[in-house]
Amino acid sequence: MALLELHEVGKAYGGLPAVDGVSLGTGGGEILALVGPNGAGKSTLLKLVVGLERPNRGRVILDGHDITGRPPHLVRRMGVAMVQQTPRSFPTMTVRENVALGALFGRDTPPDTDEALEIADEALAFVGLDDRRHDTVGALNLHQLRFLELARAIAGSPRLLLLDEVMAGLNDAELETSIDIVRAIRDRHDITVVWVEHVMKAVMGLAERVVVLDFGRILAEGSPDQVMRDPAVVEAYLGKEDLGA
Amino acid sequence: MSGRAVAAGTSLVAGAETRVSRSLPRLFGSIAAVGAVLAAVPLWVGDSRVRMGVAILGLAFACYAIGFNLIFGSTGQLFLCVGALAGVGGYGTALLADRVGVPVVAALVLAALGAALVGGLLSWVAVRRSLGVIFAGIITLIFALSFENLVLGASTITGGDSGIQVSAGSGTFLRERTTAYYVMLGLVLLCLVVHGLLRRSRVGWAFRALRDDEVAAELAGVDVARYRVYAALVGSAMLGLAGGTYALIAGRVSPTTYGFAQVDVVVIVMLAFGGIGTLVGPVLGATVFTILDELLIELGQLRLLAYGVLIIVLFLWIRRGLIPTLAELVRRKPGSPPGTAPDGEPG
Repeated sequence: MALLELHEVGKAYGGLPAVDGVSLGTGGGEILALVGPNGAGKSTLLKLVVGLERPNRGRVILDGHDITGRPPHLVRRMGVAMVQQTPRSFPTMTVRENVALGALFGRDTPPDTDEALEIADEALAFVGLDDRRHDTVGALNLHQLRFLELARAIAGSPRLLLLDEVMAGLNDAELETSIDIVRAIRDRHDITVVWVEHVMKAVMGLAERVVVLDFGRILAEGSPDQVMRDPAVVEAYLGKEDLGA
Repeated sequence: MSGRAVAAGTSLVAGAETRVSRSLPRLFGSIAAVGAVLAAVPLWVGDSRVRMGVAILGLAFACYAIGFNLIFGSTGQLFLCVGALAGVGGYGTALLADRVGVPVVAALVLAALGAALVGGLLSWVAVRRSLGVIFAGIITLIFALSFENLVLGASTITGGDSGIQVSAGSGTFLRERTTAYYVMLGLVLLCLVVHGLLRRSRVGWAFRALRDDEVAAELAGVDVARYRVYAALVGSAMLGLAGGTYALIAGRVSPTTYGFAQVDVVVIVMLAFGGIGTLVGPVLGATVFTILDELLIELGQLRLLAYGVLIIVLFLWIRRGLIPTLAELVRRKPGSPPGTAPDGEPG
């Protein structure tokens, strides 16, 4: 059974549909990329899943449970973590405490503080930030802040990880590390990853399946190679943008 | 990038010591130090009935400041009804004990629970409707004004403008200035211990997270709404308990005992001075402000001017409050950051 199922999910802002009847399913440790032009509804779709926005129609089903419109903290405890495009963290806490918080509140059975700090250390080592754990978040750059969020997300031991353009603005070396880390998260923890991305190079290298959104609807779906050859995709999206990224 | 710029960029409520979870000995150490200093006050002013009265009122304000700090400093809810919630405790205790005939301690506990329920309800409404700081402030201010009007209007019960005598507690140690002082001090320490333990626990982590970034906290699994209501319940219970205890000690309550101008305004200044979001800052602020108020009493009308100047100084130079500012100075000294001259004083 699919871990996440969307049934005809729709969200409109003032009559303008941002997501217009999307149905899709994923699970089993898949890495699914959501691509599409700006304003295609990719980020909105993720927000609808985690409960930051409430859909106007349709259902969001997680592991057989209807989670449509549930508040984010409940969705988080049911095993869905999200890393946002603009990283958000807790400025009065150290890097380590930022991640420990994810373990303290993200899990269904919460650990005690000491255990949470241990989990934080593991997660930080995993994303390569262990040498920064006693710093405040103000000392980190954008790239590191995203990894910090990623560490907080995995510290909460999710089953489903949603990533919103976490690779935007990275240089080639950082991109390589990011790709390796996302793959490692999936391989080691068997976490299903749904991932919104603009950087085509990363999509081609990492995604197992690609869903192309345009005007809030699914335009095409398939393996990265298939999708890139789809004439509708080429016209709607790739024709206008630089493939090389 | 300069570390100081980063530190200055963190929010007003970011207490310096919130960065590390306090160890239990350190926590009780700071509370015990506060207790020891304040316990010595009667030795100093004990022979003056008037000054002891001022000291007791100062301790009541310390409790108010701790309760308000828990609600506003820890979870960012601007409760402009500190006096009114204390008044629920004060009038509640007096009326339950004197009119209804409930035993004094039970009356006090019931009144404090009443204040907790009212505060919790206000918070719940604000949280449910997702009201921002300003709107929550307006709602609680409306409650405070309604409470004052209710007290003035229902004069057959509350005595209206002139208030009522509280006969409960008369003839007991509560009317002995020195013992009453220690009862109030005990309440201050109790409030500090409760707040301190909350801060160390899981709840404290949730408070820090939601204060730093509400959306990030929610996404990390923190039930922001629930922790806000928790803080309002516990903080309001402190306000009600302190207001009720003060009524029993003072032997009289009136609208000005719990008025917005007489309580809320002062509590906000005390908290801002001591350090919003710190543990013992509210007590420090209340102590300094009470002493200052006594010293300036001879200035008469000029006192208001002096407060004006004080507030300006406060917000210009020690915006984060006294405790965080001092902590920052202490921390900076041993490190001797580049650019500062080495200390002339040896040792």
